[in-house]
Amino acid sequence: MRTCLVVDNSKMIRRVAGRILSDLKFNTEEAENGLEALNMCRSNMPDAILLDWNMPVMDGMTFLKKLRAEQTNERPVVLFCTAERDVVKIAAALEAGADEYIMKPFDSDIISSKLLQAGLLG
Amino acid sequence: MSDVLSLKPSYYEALKRLTLELAGVHLGEDHAFLVETRLGALARQEGYQSLNKMIDDLFGQGQTRLAVKVVSSLLERDTHFNPDPKGMKAIEEFLFPQLLSLSGSDRIRILSFACSSGQEPYSLAILADKFQKSHPNFSFEILGVDYPSPSLSRAQEGIYTHFEVQRGLPIRDLITYFDRVGENWCIKDVLRESVSFREFHLLSKLDSLGQFDLVLFRNSLAHYSSAAQIRVIRSLSSIVKAERYIMFGAEEALPTSGYNFDPIEGHPHVLIKHASPIEIEPEEERQLMPIIKYNASDDHKESA
Repeated sequence: MRTCLVVDNSKMIRRVAGRILSDLKFNTEEAENGLEALNMCRSNMPDAILLDWNMPVMDGMTFLKKLRAEQTNERPVVLFCTAERDVVKIAAALEAGADEYIMKPFDSDIISSKLLQAGLLG
Repeated sequence: MSDVLSLKPSYYEALKRLTLELAGVHLGEDHAFLVETRLGALARQEGYQSLNKMIDDLFGQGQTRLAVKVVSSLLERDTHFNPDPKGMKAIEEFLFPQLLSLSGSDRIRILSFACSSGQEPYSLAILADKFQKSHPNFSFEILGVDYPSPSLSRAQEGIYTHFEVQRGLPIRDLITYFDRVGENWCIKDVLRESVSFREFHLLSKLDSLGQFDLVLFRNSLAHYSSAAQIRVIRSLSSIVKAERYIMFGAEEALPTSGYNFDPIEGHPHVLIKHASPIEIEPEEERQLMPIIKYNASDDHKESA
């Protein structure tokens, strides 16, 4: 079973995303911010990361840049999942190494569609 | 039928007959909720106080304009961008290169039959635009046809919600081919120029649409009655150029001994038209029924 790490400072978003991912047969783990997520990735790299942008301690963009700079052969699929809808910000996220981008609010169709495009479903 | 539904059972039966007669499409018992929600909205839009009042007028006064609106509204389908990834891959990796080698620099004409709210034709246009970047001789135009409906009007506008663009459309394609307009996303001119839409009765003769190099008719066949399936496929067969292609949904197949098409190895949902097509005799038609594994009620349940 594949693992997805949900990184968001909102407990509600983590819960909703976790339920959707669980229905899609993913094991889910949770982190409240980028720093906590980075430590979790260093000990056990997930297959996918659902990543919020604006978080305390370490934001999503900083986390992503640090993750992609890690010396490791593992390259998890990163789906930015944020309320940011500005095209310039979307382009910056892709430039930093995001594979896909989900604009909140989302539903199960959107999550499954993005995971399918990333080759993690079907 | 559920007790919570307001439509008289006799009206529901009459609507089923109307939809079958006008569009060749079967409405099942499980479509009752769909009928209520779609027609309830139409009744409000048309200024009626209740759904039953609108249906009273429809059958009491025999209004053709209202009949077309009612049937069109019942036939609207929920569609996504890149609705069938395997099919899109076959178009990109097999059909476009084939069509380019056959047509040279001639403009390739593609028909999206029963295009609903336009996601399929625009997805094709994105694929074709990318292909054109690496094959400058490739030239194309895409026509989407469907019954007149709010969905088709939305296709013509090319404006989609936040949710719609995220279902099936990769983010890179979204920011390349769409502009953000408030909360929605609008197709850029580069795509709009290559895609057009036309209101069309799908059971009527298609000759006025011209000839096409590729016709897509995916995942709609199962909704049609047996007679309408044969009629539609015969009509579509007549507008595919010789040695060009028709594509069905992944769960649909035709008996290839009829309709002047041959199967293509490795692409079971794509057929190629004979170089010298022959006229199909009416008595042969009964043997030409399509084979469909598709569950007709699935997307109607979802779209309700």
